[in-house]
Amino acid sequence: MAAVSSARWLRVRRGLCLPLTGRRAGLCGRAPSSRFYSGSAAVPEVEGADATGTGEVVIPKKKTWDKVAVLQALASTVHRDATAAPYAFQDDPYLIPTSSMESHSFLLAKKSGENAAKFVINSYPKYFQKDIAEPHIPCFMPEYFEPQIEGISEAALQERIKLRKVKASVDMFDQLLQTGTTVSLETANCLLDLLCYCGNQEPSTNYNFQQREQAEELEEATEGNNEKPKKKAGHQLGVTWRAKNNAERIFALMPEKNAHSYCTMIRGMVKHRAPTQALNLYTELLNNRLRADVHTFNSLIEATALVVNEKFEEKWNNILDLLKQMVAQNVKPNLQTFNTILKCLRRFHAFGKLPALQTLREMKAIGIEPSLATYHYIIQLFYQHESPSKGSSLIIYDIMNELMGKKFSPKDPDDDMFFQSAMRVCSSLRDLELAYQVHDLLNTGDNRKFIGPDHRRNFYYSKFFGLLCLMEQIDVTLKWYKDLIPSVFFPHSQTLIDLLQALDVANRLELIPQIWKDSKEYGHTFRRDLKEEILMLMARDRHPPELQVAFADCAADIKSTYESQDARQTAPSWLASSLNYIAVLFLRAGRTQEAWKMLGLFRTHNKIPRSELLNEFMGSAKASGSPAQAIEIVKLAGAFSLPICESLTQTLMADFTLSQEQKEALGDLTALTSDSSSDSDNDVGEGK
Amino acid sequence: MAGRSGALEREKLSVKDGVTHPERREEGSGSGSDLCKDPEVGRAQEGGKKTPVAGVLRAVRTVGLAKLAAPVCCQELRPLVLSWSRELPCVWRALHTSAVCAKNRAARVRVGKGDKPVTYEEAHVPHHIAHRKGWLSLHTGNLAGEDHAAERTVEDIFFRKFMLGTFPGCLADKLVLKRRANQVEICALVLRQLPAHKFYVLVGYSETLLSHFYKCPVHLHLQTVPSKVVYKYI
Repeated sequence: MAAVSSARWLRVRRGLCLPLTGRRAGLCGRAPSSRFYSGSAAVPEVEGADATGTGEVVIPKKKTWDKVAVLQALASTVHRDATAAPYAFQDDPYLIPTSSMESHSFLLAKKSGENAAKFVINSYPKYFQKDIAEPHIPCFMPEYFEPQIEGISEAALQERIKLRKVKASVDMFDQLLQTGTTVSLETANCLLDLLCYCGNQEPSTNYNFQQREQAEELEEATEGNNEKPKKKAGHQLGVTWRAKNNAERIFALMPEKNAHSYCTMIRGMVKHRAPTQALNLYTELLNNRLRADVHTFNSLIEATALVVNEKFEEKWNNILDLLKQMVAQNVKPNLQTFNTILKCLRRFHAFGKLPALQTLREMKAIGIEPSLATYHYIIQLFYQHESPSKGSSLIIYDIMNELMGKKFSPKDPDDDMFFQSAMRVCSSLRDLELAYQVHDLLNTGDNRKFIGPDHRRNFYYSKFFGLLCLMEQIDVTLKWYKDLIPSVFFPHSQTLIDLLQALDVANRLELIPQIWKDSKEYGHTFRRDLKEEILMLMARDRHPPELQVAFADCAADIKSTYESQDARQTAPSWLASSLNYIAVLFLRAGRTQEAWKMLGLFRTHNKIPRSELLNEFMGSAKASGSPAQAIEIVKLAGAFSLPICESLTQTLMADFTLSQEQKEALGDLTALTSDSSSDSDNDVGEGK
Repeated sequence: MAGRSGALEREKLSVKDGVTHPERREEGSGSGSDLCKDPEVGRAQEGGKKTPVAGVLRAVRTVGLAKLAAPVCCQELRPLVLSWSRELPCVWRALHTSAVCAKNRAARVRVGKGDKPVTYEEAHVPHHIAHRKGWLSLHTGNLAGEDHAAERTVEDIFFRKFMLGTFPGCLADKLVLKRRANQVEICALVLRQLPAHKFYVLVGYSETLLSHFYKCPVHLHLQTVPSKVVYKYI
């Protein structure tokens, strides 16, 4: 009775609610098109919303919002703060890194602290059991790495497999076989999965940043030059598949094998560089009339490319055969299939260009959306050499036209290499518009995630900024400088030298002291080439007096860095040119005392002053009207046996009024110098 | 102070029940001696452990009911004491006794000869809170209708001790603890005793360990100063 009445009431209620919700939902249905973050909400297809004139009321589906939709909306209102360090660092001047090496070491230090804490927590889990979080947060509970189930049983084996204990699970499997119990097919397959994934070695428990990065760099290096022997690369990069290892043994011991067993073995062999064995196993699979799945086919494609001593055409034909077999076995290819094909085609150099385009067309024809990794492989294939001698391909423009405004989600592990290679191409083509396009693509949506780890991000931004310095107007370049450095990346000394040259071209040399101050902050205090460049640019021409003063201060600063470097090292760090420049700058700014001290430095470091410098000194001595200084200069020129000595002496005699002793001293000096010069002339004559 | 009286409250409970709780006694006496830093309590405790039972009985009888609650009783005494006290013709009441700590001496740095440097925090006394100084621990437990204030206080004590030990000799001032949603933000003023990468190791370690201990995100915000920031010399 009550149920019937309640049901009737519900029906009435629903009848009442129906038109209301339709209208409200209709309103809501039109609004999301203007909201830009609605990508997270399930926006319904409101077909009938516009046609309100017709009697049909189309009720759209209920909109579901993401749990963090509000946070995403708030986050979209703020942009990157160009003055702040990345949030991973503590916000304090003592604790903010000033170079890329420091930032790397700080992040590693923080991670090692976390590992230490995890070690403590997992060693004494009984102190961390009290759970006061509502709802339960599983990641704050201690983890158990030791298997709990003792004894020999299949459940114990499964537990060890779950805990990724390779040796323990293999031992358990052997013990099970010894006792005579048959291991079920699923468990045996799980064990094979573990062995093939880990390559018969214990997976490393430490999250090793450095090892991973080394592996990545080696990968890039090996891709660059294929002449490197594959064995060496295998040793460095990971495990190699040894014959008759545990996986093969267990595979042979299994009484029944299904397709999954074969597939796992094939994939394991390819992962650990045993392509021929993988192909043999595949023929065995076909003989047993089993079918492989799409992942196995992806591995087999890689295997055909890995096989040595085969020509590119043969390998390509083998790959095509495999694809035909895939079709015959009714296996649908996925994104990884095409990416693997392109990855293998990269090694074929010029031969691979046409097949790559064919693959791309095929991918689009099937309807698989290419990921960033796809385009990365294509770029690598077409732009393999840094500086192309003949005309380079224009495919990058087609790629960028296609990618404009698209948002990507991670689908392939190599997705984060796209931006680096794209910017490399832009830089080699010297095309700024294209670089802006690439940068816009990076800033659409969430594509920032694909910039990759630290060194890749530094490479991308170094190339981008280098291109800006080269091609862009100086004001825009300086705006980018303030924006990018140091909040996004720390510049190399080469980047700063590029910036200085850009300033030189644009005749904005007054910013040089500021750049020097920034360089000191970024850890380039002791970079000789940078300091040389700065000094050269400052000392090259004459400038208005205030600027000269600023330049002289900068030169004094650089001089102090040289001196402190000298104090620390035994090898002298001074170069003749830098001494010259600094002396000139001091003179021009009117700091004659320090300039004269510089002359003394010439002698101590045994460097030869330039003739223009000595002329300038002479000019300054004339201006101050002290003949003693002029004689000093002549003596110095004489000591170094410079050809300019004579002209200096003449100017001295002409412009200065000398006392008697000074004339005598000068006479001795000129006699010496004339002797030495005549001797040198004679030597030269004899030498000829 | 609340903690200390609470500890001794627990101590008294154990006496009343007549059940021996050796661990609680240790804990109570430990925190008691730590918090009040009173040598008298410690000495009395040791006296209680060393002298034989009869001597203690005599001492207890002469001293009177008030001193019963002090942690002087040793384990064997408990049932005896209980029976003796029950004979007295009075209502059984709980007395709060502890070592003396006058409230006009709380959190006050005593004036010296003018050479003692004090920070702003130390220089101002508790009645200046909300007038000249803020709170060191910010949470909503003390608002009307909110509970678990005591749990927050105990957590605070743990955070402060933990940080004092993890950053040895580096803390320049007391920690400021802020609770926001379910997170805890520890704001610490540190001296530049360690190189920067060592600070990061300690930060990663403390954040992870405290998060796992209290099952909530714990963030550490450090601010470095070259030396303790002196407000005045008293």
